[in-house]
Amino acid sequence: MYVPAVARRTGQALTDSAQSLALSSLDTILGSTLAREAVDRVLASALVEHVMRDLVRYRVIERATDELLESSVVDEAIARLLESEELWVLVDEIARSPAVTDAISHQGAGLADQVAAVVRDRSRNADARLERVARRALRRDARPAE
Amino acid sequence: MTARRVHGVSPPDAQPTTYIGLVTRVIAFAIDAAVINVVALLVAVVIALVSSVLPTSHTRDKVLVAIGAAVFAVWIVGYFVAFWTTTGQTPGNRLMQIRVERADGSRLLPRHALARLLGILASLPLLLGFMPILVTERRRGLHDWMAGTVVKAAPREGGP
Repeated sequence: MYVPAVARRTGQALTDSAQSLALSSLDTILGSTLAREAVDRVLASALVEHVMRDLVRYRVIERATDELLESSVVDEAIARLLESEELWVLVDEIARSPAVTDAISHQGAGLADQVAAVVRDRSRNADARLERVARRALRRDARPAE
Repeated sequence: MTARRVHGVSPPDAQPTTYIGLVTRVIAFAIDAAVINVVALLVAVVIALVSSVLPTSHTRDKVLVAIGAAVFAVWIVGYFVAFWTTTGQTPGNRLMQIRVERADGSRLLPRHALARLLGILASLPLLLGFMPILVTERRRGLHDWMAGTVVKAAPREGGP
């Protein structure tokens, strides 16, 4: 009973030491010019283009997006977003901002102006058509074009 | 200047005068009728609500109806006379970008506006009074003859 406990503690200590050593070695490597040089060379090489082409060829991004959308992560994120009070405060602020209210009022006025302009054009055309019919019926000369 | 306006001839740098036809005028009039009726309806609803809490009396109801009819007539006359004699444009005219003015280009006086309204009433039987708009050079109806008016295009400055 005593021996396995000692062995377990020794094993744990060895594992901790190994992890610590590995992490410090990694820090040393990442801090060295060698790592920077290696990253520079990788980025400058054709490997990047090759990887990008493969990402497109194997539709990696689409598959990842599909996977993400099919999972409940997005739904949960949206649900949490909608529940947050900050979102509605933000929406309220945006809706009341002068830029948005100006844009909405301009758009409304613009639409009304457009509709009125179309009605005016059509009514003027209808004026001319009706007069042509009336003048023809009364055998009068056509009105000269305006 | 006056003679040029009457005969529809403009100086070379001016916009040619466009006289307005029947359809556009009818649309403008319909818009005015809608404005008049909506306002009258709102007032009538308020009066009806107020009178509904008062004790009912047959005589009082008759008097109210008579007063209402008189006020409605005054409202209609006042509406047209006020707009024609000030800007020459009722709200309906403004939306359709047309203006009523005297044949010499001057503004209507109240008597001209009243004559024009009477002319519109006189034109109503079989709409005969409006028919000359279709065939006369300056598109004038009976009411225009009676009031000495024409209806011209009045595009907004800088507008469409």
